[in-house]
Amino acid sequence: MTVISADPRLSRFDPLRRIYFYDDFDDGMNGWSELIGNYERSLDSMLPEYADMRPPMLSAQSMWDTGTAGSMQGTYSLKLASRARAGALATSIKRLTFRRRGRIQLECYFTFKPEASELRLSLHDVRAFGILFDLQDGMNPEYRWMPHLRYLNASGDSMVNRWQMKGATRAFSKIGDSGETVSHFHLGAENWEDIDLPPQTLAYNEIATKMNWHYLRVSVDLAARSFLGFQCNDLVYEGAPLSYIKMPAMPNLNCMLNTAFWVETNRDKRAFFYLDSVLLSGEF
Amino acid sequence: MALRRSYTAIVERNARWQGDFASEPYEAAWASEAIFFVRALEVSDAFTGSARLQISADGMHWADEGGYFALPAAADAVSFCRARHFGGWLRIAGALAPGNAITVLVSLVLKE
Repeated sequence: MTVISADPRLSRFDPLRRIYFYDDFDDGMNGWSELIGNYERSLDSMLPEYADMRPPMLSAQSMWDTGTAGSMQGTYSLKLASRARAGALATSIKRLTFRRRGRIQLECYFTFKPEASELRLSLHDVRAFGILFDLQDGMNPEYRWMPHLRYLNASGDSMVNRWQMKGATRAFSKIGDSGETVSHFHLGAENWEDIDLPPQTLAYNEIATKMNWHYLRVSVDLAARSFLGFQCNDLVYEGAPLSYIKMPAMPNLNCMLNTAFWVETNRDKRAFFYLDSVLLSGEF
Repeated sequence: MALRRSYTAIVERNARWQGDFASEPYEAAWASEAIFFVRALEVSDAFTGSARLQISADGMHWADEGGYFALPAAADAVSFCRARHFGGWLRIAGALAPGNAITVLVSLVLKE
């Protein structure tokens, strides 16, 4: 009875008490936009790493050999597509604020693949994908903090298949000459640490046009400023809190609750990351 | 009344085109109409150049659709091309003659 009466779109999630948002990309973009770096007067003033993080799109997953796969539930998914240049990123962000410092939990169904531009397995061609939160305390803020979680699929010619966290970012740079704008790039190759888990091989399937959907859950406590853990399919991390980037609070970011996804290519070939749906829930 | 969904993607931003060029592929099977707006941020002296729409079933193999449209010849000038009934993927592409260069911001405006 429970199964029959459940909403099949929501019964596949385990949300906390209330839902901030539930985005099914059959309904549109739902506020996911391209990430851009800060600039002043000219786009040329931007840190070069932020210059081209690519607009997200709605994909029907139409393949050259088999036609449309559609999404996990429906037709469209949110697609991030990097340029065809090794190390290029595509990043999409949704920007909110919170009203209570409680636990939050992000759940999604995702998949990833390189562009099917070669008739070969292409297992090493996506370097990594990940999710991050960009958070700042509310009233009388002390810190801005940024939990990052990435799946390092491959590095060079080696498969890695490890989940990683990031505890430090690069130094801030001044942007322009007004003194009002700064920027820092936090998705670089440095400072990633393996999370204390065995490697996890995600179902990649056997050719570049077959995709399987995966479940991901990430948990954070805004009150304790703690990066609690995550789950990807049947791999669950509930150990010591994970490392995250932390810096003094900034002047105009109070109560910030931003979520971003990214994908990075390992070769001169586009890397794609797809989201069927995303659900952010919390205690508020 | 349900409003028609729309979305603007900045498919090229501060990109410098010389010689052969193409915007990054954009997947938009959900949309029934599209306009590429090309704004020049910077152009070489006495710039002339044109582009044309291309469509694709897979984002990798491209066919020309329609004729050429002139690229803007002065900073902050805008030109555009329209598309309907285009299938899955869109881009604009062309080739600039030697001595011509343009830095562009390309907005792809889509509507259900």
